[in-house]
Amino acid sequence: MLNEHDIRTQLQQVSYPGSRHDIVTLGLVDTITLEENNVIVHFRPSSATPDTLQRLTQKITATLSTMSGIGTVSVHTGRPSGPAARPGPVTAPSKTPLPGVGKVIAVASGKGGVGKSTVAVNLAVAIHTLGYRVGLLDADVYGPSVPLMMGTEAVPRAAHDKKVFPVEKYGINLISMGFFLDDQSPVIWRGPVVMGIIRQFLRDVLWGELDYLIVDLPPGTGDASLTLAQEIPLNGGVVVSTPQDVALLDVNRGISMFRQVHVPILGIVENMSYYLCPQCGEREEIFGHGGTAKTGLEVLGEIPLVEEVRTGGDAGKPIVLQHPEHPVSQAFRTLATRIIQASSIPLQ
Amino acid sequence: MPIPALIIPLMDEKALRLLWDDDQISTYPFPYLRGWCPCAGCQGHSGERQFIRVENPQLEAISPVGNYALNFRWSDGHDTGIYTFEFLRTLSDQFAELNENSAER
Repeated sequence: MLNEHDIRTQLQQVSYPGSRHDIVTLGLVDTITLEENNVIVHFRPSSATPDTLQRLTQKITATLSTMSGIGTVSVHTGRPSGPAARPGPVTAPSKTPLPGVGKVIAVASGKGGVGKSTVAVNLAVAIHTLGYRVGLLDADVYGPSVPLMMGTEAVPRAAHDKKVFPVEKYGINLISMGFFLDDQSPVIWRGPVVMGIIRQFLRDVLWGELDYLIVDLPPGTGDASLTLAQEIPLNGGVVVSTPQDVALLDVNRGISMFRQVHVPILGIVENMSYYLCPQCGEREEIFGHGGTAKTGLEVLGEIPLVEEVRTGGDAGKPIVLQHPEHPVSQAFRTLATRIIQASSIPLQ
Repeated sequence: MPIPALIIPLMDEKALRLLWDDDQISTYPFPYLRGWCPCAGCQGHSGERQFIRVENPQLEAISPVGNYALNFRWSDGHDTGIYTFEFLRTLSDQFAELNENSAER
């Protein structure tokens, strides 16, 4: 005669994927209902993904069907309604909560003025030219430079439910505080307002289907960076620095920030790495050389100091589009490829 | 640093269970978890860890904080604690000591 105890004992043979512990010991199995010889196994709500639950269902069915006299086996993995449904949303910590958005990559620096936005813009465009759908979120609310660098002053269109559509330029979905301000007005905000804006940029922008969302962080380790790291699971961080020691000092703080909030650091980009003299072609290392390697991070790319990068930014047409054959554009595409490869490594 | 692979609230046992990616299981009774809330409001600035005694706290919601922590909402309305994975691991590894510590307060 079938009884609940025997079924529970039998279920101890089903281990959780990737673990030596079984589902009964873990507490995943809630109640077991027997109707004649038909079995219903109820799961507790948990952070297990639908894929995992489906695999477990198959294992359970296979294990129980070996018991003699058993009828049908069904597994209820859905959340029960009523008081038992509490607590509310239990989500796996490594899932991206932005619907439709694949990987989120943050571009950060310790120090200002190292060309972080320049790298973020060209990186976004370079990833797009490699065939991916890309968004660019300008999280530098105090000094938004993405609109100028991408050559658009469009105003984001309002959508339903107080949401907005991103501005599209060069095939990239953009959002920036710059779209909501005129050129002169200063942004004088305290931390909580900045936190609110970052949240809105993440949640209230209809990003659409994206493979990559690049986030241009403000310099330093302030409210915008922390809010971003808390609101969504970032898939990777890229650190930008110039090679000299004074920049590296601050970069190490940026690196520690990523480490503290468990964001995998994909590597460092050395910007203004050297100057190529347009007259004689000689390579001059104005800010020194090899500094970024001292951080112990993988150097993802060295971007030389060339005028076309600056004019591309000021003219609103990134060098990757303006001069695709330029060695710097090639360097950005190499950087994009390496970031795509690095970020496809699963988290953890 | 291990991170939770599975989060199971055991509402009937009034405890939270975590399975870590190094296959350790941790079980936290709600009063213990609520009591060692790491937020500034609960901990103040004395530097010594405070245990906040709450009668029969119920876990109302769990939300992930980025890649590195969990946030809980409790039946007393408290929801400002960001429990980093490191901290949750400490609460589990030092359970015996900290639990005795909390009983004294």
